[in-house]
Amino acid sequence: MVPVEYYLLLSSAIFCIGLFGVLTRRNALYFLMSVELMLNAANINLIAFSFQWGNLTGQTFALFTIALAAAEVAVGIGIILVLYRNFGDIDVMDAATMRW
Amino acid sequence: MSESDESVVALSPGVAAVALFGVLAAVVVGAAGGFPEPNGFPADASIVHNLGYALFDIDLGDIPAEGFLAAFLIIAIALDVALDSAVYLAKRETDGTIISALTTGGSEVVDSDVVGSSDGDAADDADRGGDA
Repeated sequence: MVPVEYYLLLSSAIFCIGLFGVLTRRNALYFLMSVELMLNAANINLIAFSFQWGNLTGQTFALFTIALAAAEVAVGIGIILVLYRNFGDIDVMDAATMRW
Repeated sequence: MSESDESVVALSPGVAAVALFGVLAAVVVGAAGGFPEPNGFPADASIVHNLGYALFDIDLGDIPAEGFLAAFLIIAIALDVALDSAVYLAKRETDGTIISALTTGGSEVVDSDVVGSSDGDAADDADRGGDA
């Protein structure tokens, strides 16, 4: 059996790749993909510990996370559409009207 | 600010992400060996069946899990809200009027398009459930 530390290392790497994308990319689609990476890193943790303790609660939680990720993408793509209509681009730095 | 300074500023958040991975990796490697052998799941138990039991809060499963019926219903509502908001965001608006996503590209429905309304009297409006 694979020790849980390897899963933790994998999920840390995926989370940090997602964080890197969120912090450095300006394209809203890349933004969404990076957030998905971060959510999936959390899913790996949930499922790894579900296996570690022999309890299905983590796997069920991961299902809910997947559903929430789908909802987030649906709203996110709607926002990207509006961004493109209003600014002619999907650069997140363009939408600065409400920036403090 | 020179071009090289700008590139350094643009890359600094990325360096922060890499640094965070370094910290996380150090913590994980430091905790290596601190966990017991994985319990795993029984070989003859169906994971999918047990997930279904957990989702609907049915007490028939072989693998321990909590009940998630309330969370399941709340997530269902959240997905409905997300679908509605995605449709709302995606549809075009003209002159501030909300155009229904279920019409043919937002074209106006005129009486002659509706079957059985060629004479346009009030009885036909009532027949097709109109509010005229």
